[in-house]
Amino acid sequence: MRLFLLLLFLTTSLFAYTTNDTLSQAMQQKLQLDADKITIVDFFASWCSSCKKEIPHISKINETLDKDHYEIIGIDVDKKLQDGIAFQNALKTRGHLNFRVINDPENTIVNAFNPIGMPALYYIKNHKVLKVRYGAVDDIDDIIRNDLKTLE
Amino acid sequence: MKCIGIILITLFIGGCSGMTHVKPWEKERLSRDSMSNAAGNTLVSKFDAHVYFSKEASKGGGGVSGGGCGCN
Repeated sequence: MRLFLLLLFLTTSLFAYTTNDTLSQAMQQKLQLDADKITIVDFFASWCSSCKKEIPHISKINETLDKDHYEIIGIDVDKKLQDGIAFQNALKTRGHLNFRVINDPENTIVNAFNPIGMPALYYIKNHKVLKVRYGAVDDIDDIIRNDLKTLE
Repeated sequence: MKCIGIILITLFIGGCSGMTHVKPWEKERLSRDSMSNAAGNTLVSKFDAHVYFSKEASKGGGGVSGGGCGCN
């Protein structure tokens, strides 16, 4: 029975970062987050229409955030790097993308976070996940503003 | 013998679970217009929807809002 449970555990490796989890050393190095700030990590892709809709709203709130206390970074999970970069450039020319983006064509970062939906927002401070939001949300800028108030 | 059987069943079940999962960030192809029933043809799409809604006596909820990215 013990052997069965052990094998079952080994075959169902479903690790995902959720609230109160601490990022691994490797992930901390990859993301280069400022531990003292609340960082919002936004996972998006060029083919995800909900992400396209949300990014301008996230950029809008990024303009109003106190940069000493908050940071927003994007993780572009496009497998074709050139697609991701073209998508980001198109957003930038329209003024819809004003935060740092890490390209993740190998999907190593998103695999580690393992979100159940996209877009996915992770609020992180001191390398610890404070809150997670999955999926398309209307008026995401207002939602983020309220989230940050509760997390302060 | 019994132990080997348990191991094989466990590996089989584990293997099956790995075959079906498409992660939300792996749905690029699924989000393409060509992956819909009508493959991007508006007329076919409207006709399909008409037949479906007539049979189901309901409307809406037939789209893949969000590009099939697993949201909502």
